[in-house]
Amino acid sequence: MKWNKADLAQYLEAKEYIDTILIPLIPYQMSTESELEKNAFQNELTTVLANDLEKELTGRVMLTPSYYYVKHATKEEEIERLHGWITEIQKQPFSHVFFLTLDASWKKHEQVLKGTLLWLPGMKSGDLHSAEMHRFVRDQVDQISELIRSYW
Amino acid sequence: MSEKKQQVSRRQFLNYTLTGVGGFMAAGMLAPMLRMAVDPVLQESGHGDLTNVSLAVEDITTEPQRIDWKVNQVDGWYESEVNRSAWVFKNDKDEIQAFSPICKHLGCVVSWEGNDQYPDQFYCPCHDGRYYKDGTNVPGTPPLKPLDVYESEVREGMLFLGDAVPREGA
Repeated sequence: MKWNKADLAQYLEAKEYIDTILIPLIPYQMSTESELEKNAFQNELTTVLANDLEKELTGRVMLTPSYYYVKHATKEEEIERLHGWITEIQKQPFSHVFFLTLDASWKKHEQVLKGTLLWLPGMKSGDLHSAEMHRFVRDQVDQISELIRSYW
Repeated sequence: MSEKKQQVSRRQFLNYTLTGVGGFMAAGMLAPMLRMAVDPVLQESGHGDLTNVSLAVEDITTEPQRIDWKVNQVDGWYESEVNRSAWVFKNDKDEIQAFSPICKHLGCVVSWEGNDQYPDQFYCPCHDGRYYKDGTNVPGTPPLKPLDVYESEVREGMLFLGDAVPREGA
């Protein structure tokens, strides 16, 4: 399920079946010019991965809008804000929360997060529309969905 | 005017010519405008178009295999490439079957023998929905309808697939 009108109408009817939340965590920044392209690319890649993952597991996973944050901001503050999201999410009967990110700095704060962190080393650059990238995404999605299934 | 029947006066001649030329010019201007107004009607619809999915017929076995391909989809102003997938195999009567992998329950992606406990069945990982090999839903599992079937055709030894068509519930 995505955060759009049609899917939410379906969600309201089948609430008891959808118990998993997926939040993409995407950093952005403007200060380090040499990193701009890499960050933008990772943004695109995370979005593609999250969308494909959602497609694979539509019937049980709700993909929230992406959580964007300034890359250099302190993680403590971000975690606090993120936990605000989770408190809100738990107003509905969701029992699993997954965060999807390519930003390794979350890894250190994994224990504090109220949910499961799915950190992927990802890629620094490449052509998102090439056949290899397509296969790469396909493989990653297969493996991540298997991981998510093991939590159900 | 009527007494000299075949005579065309200068005035008449000019009238005729001017109307003729004027009409021709008006038609030249109006035709493209009209064409644009009805353009969507003349456009070929995507429906029923079959796509080559790059699978040779001799490579299709009785074991379902997953294939992925892309189609162009026009959605209002927006043209995009959409990924589609299918499970393709030959059944006992040697007919080619192409099923949509979208679970009829809530739309997850099913896989052939996706669970070791249920060999010879399609399995949906989200809520344990199951389908027999012919695509009908196993009673007692969440899905209420059989898997959709793709329109298919064989041209020069290659498999072409179109739209997925729903079937009636079992």
